[in-house]
Amino acid sequence: MNKKIISFIIVIMALIGITVYSAAKGSISVSLMTLVNGVLHGNNEEVNVIVDLRFPRIIVALLTGAILAVSGVLFQSVMRNPLADAGIMGISAGASFFTLFGLLFLPTLFISSTLFAFLGGAVSCFIIYMLSWKSGLKPLRVILTGIAVSAMFTGLREALINICAYFNITVGASNASNLTMKTWEDVELIVPLGLIGILLALLVSPWCNLLKLQDKKVVQLGVNIQLVRIIISVIAVFLASVATSIAGIIIFAGLIIPHISRQLVGTNHHILIPFSALAGAFLILTADTFGRLLIAPLEIPASTIMAVIGGPFLIFLLRKGDKLNGV
Amino acid sequence: MEFKGLSFSYDQGRAFMEELEGRIEKHKITTIIGPNGCGKSTLLSLLARGQKQTAGAITLDGKDIHSYKAKDFARKIAMVNQTNHISEDMTVQELIQFGRIPYKKIWKQDNEEDTDAIEWALACTKLHDFKDTPVSALSGGQRQRVWIALALAQKTEILFLDEPTTYLDIYHQLELLSLIKELNTVHGITIVMVLHDMNQALRYSDLVIVMKDGAIKAYGRPEQVITQEKIKEIYDVHIVVNEDDETGLYIVPLSI
Repeated sequence: MNKKIISFIIVIMALIGITVYSAAKGSISVSLMTLVNGVLHGNNEEVNVIVDLRFPRIIVALLTGAILAVSGVLFQSVMRNPLADAGIMGISAGASFFTLFGLLFLPTLFISSTLFAFLGGAVSCFIIYMLSWKSGLKPLRVILTGIAVSAMFTGLREALINICAYFNITVGASNASNLTMKTWEDVELIVPLGLIGILLALLVSPWCNLLKLQDKKVVQLGVNIQLVRIIISVIAVFLASVATSIAGIIIFAGLIIPHISRQLVGTNHHILIPFSALAGAFLILTADTFGRLLIAPLEIPASTIMAVIGGPFLIFLLRKGDKLNGV
Repeated sequence: MEFKGLSFSYDQGRAFMEELEGRIEKHKITTIIGPNGCGKSTLLSLLARGQKQTAGAITLDGKDIHSYKAKDFARKIAMVNQTNHISEDMTVQELIQFGRIPYKKIWKQDNEEDTDAIEWALACTKLHDFKDTPVSALSGGQRQRVWIALALAQKTEILFLDEPTTYLDIYHQLELLSLIKELNTVHGITIVMVLHDMNQALRYSDLVIVMKDGAIKAYGRPEQVITQEKIKEIYDVHIVVNEDDETGLYIVPLSI
């Protein structure tokens, strides 16, 4: 059996394991048997509470992780940049600011928050392309531009929240990233949108493979490379925006997961994308579960845990610098 | 393939090439030589649609090359670039499969024709034993053959090569040039290449284009074009051209 199959089996088992563990443990803890029986028959009060409150959170966490990881794979492919990540590049910050903006000024449509998130993500992505295109999307330049974009939108968001506070308008917690208090409504939004996005990502995976070649080679093969780039970018931004509008900004997931996945299953995107989705789901649910359990009844947001893990990981990647040509 | 009134300039600046005229003969090996910066690679790139000329026309089979659809053009002309880069763990076969992109929708599986073309490309370049090897694990000479195989999988009538021997040692230079010769004589592929080495140009080409300062200074059979006077004029280098029963024509640079 080869490494790829073993990796898949392990990540699927780990994913099932953490899902069950996460469902069973918390302020209400039940045994596995009780949980399964309760879910099947619906006659256990405690399990019903878990299904109402904890299940949506688990599903949202799983989808968020999968979405962010796949979005990271796409960004890294299309920018040929191993450091590309929706969080680092400010795509999520743009999405987050625009989501808030939409909530404030056009609160009627629930779906509109995702739409606004997408707009914001697209604006960030566009700025990054504009400012780093000429230098050939050099990894470090993309990252630096991203930091600037990220700071700008985070600042704008804070400003908007402060202004709202002045006028006594509450716009939710100032901490953008949160997986607590997720409802079945959130699930109904993130599941279809997330699955559509991941499906689209799978559909363009041959193009991602093609982008491993130099631009001029791609053009010589009769492919419209700009169109390919735009389509992949749009899907990547869409994914990042869906995740951000529902789960807030979670940085680094799109960086760590694709990187480790490439080590395990290689760079063929037909395999890399599904594997990253599974691994991303595992990572975010694990982060959220431990964030919930470590210092209960207090919680550490998954995004905080990701930042703590992700920071050193990025430093580690930068240390291996020369392999990433240009960093 | 013909070009007429061909002009080109970088960034709307001063014309780098003006009013070039010439033709590429079918089923022949045409080599472009000339000093550094003379426009050899640029001409090749213009002919391959890598860049667009500022004026003039290039026709292939009587049709302007820019009127071809991108994929149709990629079935007519394949290019081997001077520098190729692949940083990933792709295998030889996976890379060569990209050569079939001009023939199909990208998410389609390879059909029999595709498989045959890939097999043929592997056979021509003697890469069969390496088809599952990652490209990054190959030597320089093998790697250059992989890029040729990728171009061959495109099944084009015309193959362009931009300085294919530049980064290779003498053994692999010879190996590669005889492969190119074979592609021409056995499979009838029209070859257009840029070379630096005049002896290689003499030995392996049917026709030679000599360029200097963005202009075509000479065109013809190698022995007509690579002469003492012409080379002095173009490169400002004294050479002697000798003929030997065993080697045919060869040149020795003497002084500058």
